[in-house]
Amino acid sequence: MIKKTIQNIILEFEPEAKNILPALKKISAVFGYVSEEDVKIMAEYFGVSESKIFETASFYDEIKTEKQPEILIQICNSANCTVNNSFSIISEVENFLKIKAGSSASSKFKLEEISCLGRCADGPVMVVNGKIFERVTKSSLHGILGEYL
Amino acid sequence: MKDIKIITEYWGKINPLKIEDYINVGGYTALEKFVSKMNPEKAIEEIQKSGLCGRGGAGFPMGDKLGMVAKQTGEKYFICNLEESEPGTYKDRLVVDNNPHLLLEGIIISALSIGAQKAYIYINGNYEKQKEILEIVILQAKEKKYWGENILGSKFSLEIEIFSGAGAYICGEETALINSIEGNRGEPKIRPPFPTSAGLFGCPTAVSNAETISNIPWIISNGGKKYSIIGSKNSPGTKLFLLNGAVAKPGCYEAPTGITVKKLIDDYAGGIKRGKEFWFAQIGGACGKLLLEKELKAKMEFGKECECSLGSGSILVVDKSVNIHDLLISWTDFFRRESCGKCVPCREGTFRLWEIAKRFRDGEISDRDKEAIQDILWTLDNTTFCPLGKFAGTAFRDAVGKGIVKF
Repeated sequence: MIKKTIQNIILEFEPEAKNILPALKKISAVFGYVSEEDVKIMAEYFGVSESKIFETASFYDEIKTEKQPEILIQICNSANCTVNNSFSIISEVENFLKIKAGSSASSKFKLEEISCLGRCADGPVMVVNGKIFERVTKSSLHGILGEYL
Repeated sequence: MKDIKIITEYWGKINPLKIEDYINVGGYTALEKFVSKMNPEKAIEEIQKSGLCGRGGAGFPMGDKLGMVAKQTGEKYFICNLEESEPGTYKDRLVVDNNPHLLLEGIIISALSIGAQKAYIYINGNYEKQKEILEIVILQAKEKKYWGENILGSKFSLEIEIFSGAGAYICGEETALINSIEGNRGEPKIRPPFPTSAGLFGCPTAVSNAETISNIPWIISNGGKKYSIIGSKNSPGTKLFLLNGAVAKPGCYEAPTGITVKKLIDDYAGGIKRGKEFWFAQIGGACGKLLLEKELKAKMEFGKECECSLGSGSILVVDKSVNIHDLLISWTDFFRRESCGKCVPCREGTFRLWEIAKRFRDGEISDRDKEAIQDILWTLDNTTFCPLGKFAGTAFRDAVGKGIVKF
């Protein structure tokens, strides 16, 4: 398989303003994050300043501008999931992995509290490295994490 | 009386991925009628007559919005808003899952009625499956000449493109959504100018919620007058309601506007879940009001005079076993995270409210915090740049004002 490079990713997009966000999303999805070098290449291709590209990239949850930990665990704490005990799932992960939600102290794990994904009838919702798990319980949680550890 | 179903009529009865199934139950006849027997002015007149108003939460009259853009000249756009990030709300996702061609037909008619050359569907970045569904049905409809060059042999032409969001609640706000397609940060723009005069790439643009648009084929087929007598007088029609939390049968139900919260809970969602004790209900997502048991007779409608705006139509029933500290943190953390940071009252207000909620949970709330709460809530309500900030404190305010929490 040909290795994806930033160059051949951006060539999939016409250099128009409306393609900036889709291109950033793609780069972030392929490489895990958008690096400073990527921003430079993007800026040149789209004919805008680097700050402009970074400004857009840093705004959206789905676009990462920093290298991500090996295992990114995201748990929804919006109202519906909260009513379904998402906070107890969050503390269970914190205690089990000895990390704090929102902290970047560990390079291996990161736990984030995230906003509603529109799967409110099936909460609590947890996302591990992009894969979505529904109706998570304290017991099912360990099985899920076990596959990643 | 059996309720009239406009959007959910064929859910579960037809294969959403088969255009023939939709056509067999009368699908795309509204578009055929529009193209052969109507003109854009007449279509907008019918939509105005129907009284259909925006289902995303604001309740702006759909016909008026279309009319404003229709009278402008030059390049124009129509955008279907499927960002849907309001917590507890997934009705537009269900529309796509169950009858995507209904939405697509509505988009085509709406776009043609304003004279737009191009329609965008701005879809929530997390709705990957729904994006795939839309891609499939858009192709099917193109093969049947329902969009593209010379639609059904007429002079009408239209391009349709899906634009996928990247995770930002604020992008449900129309000017922020437009900024996002333009490759900018999804921050709201100052209004006026309103998008209806200067929207996407500076061109007149109508942005409408997916559920609103899904009502259009029915209105074109049956006439605006017939629609206007359904449900509440000020905001007629049916609405998708999402009932979740401590109800026996959680789910999505289509009911006429003007229905009471109590009736929705009891008659549609099977009442309160066995073994649970009702505490309060939150109406319309994270930015929604809280209603106590004695207030459940509130009618679900839009408009300045209504008791409780129905917002996005989601109803979260909270029972007494729920930890209110968790909910306070949930509400405040949501707005802290989703505040775009453009204006200080919202950026700081949502952050401080979240800090106070955490201190309250940890038993560390000070007298100064207690005094600050009212100031922060007033500031959010009166001074923020866009509606996100204005409604960021609604639930918190009700929780304090209605005695749900005591400091």
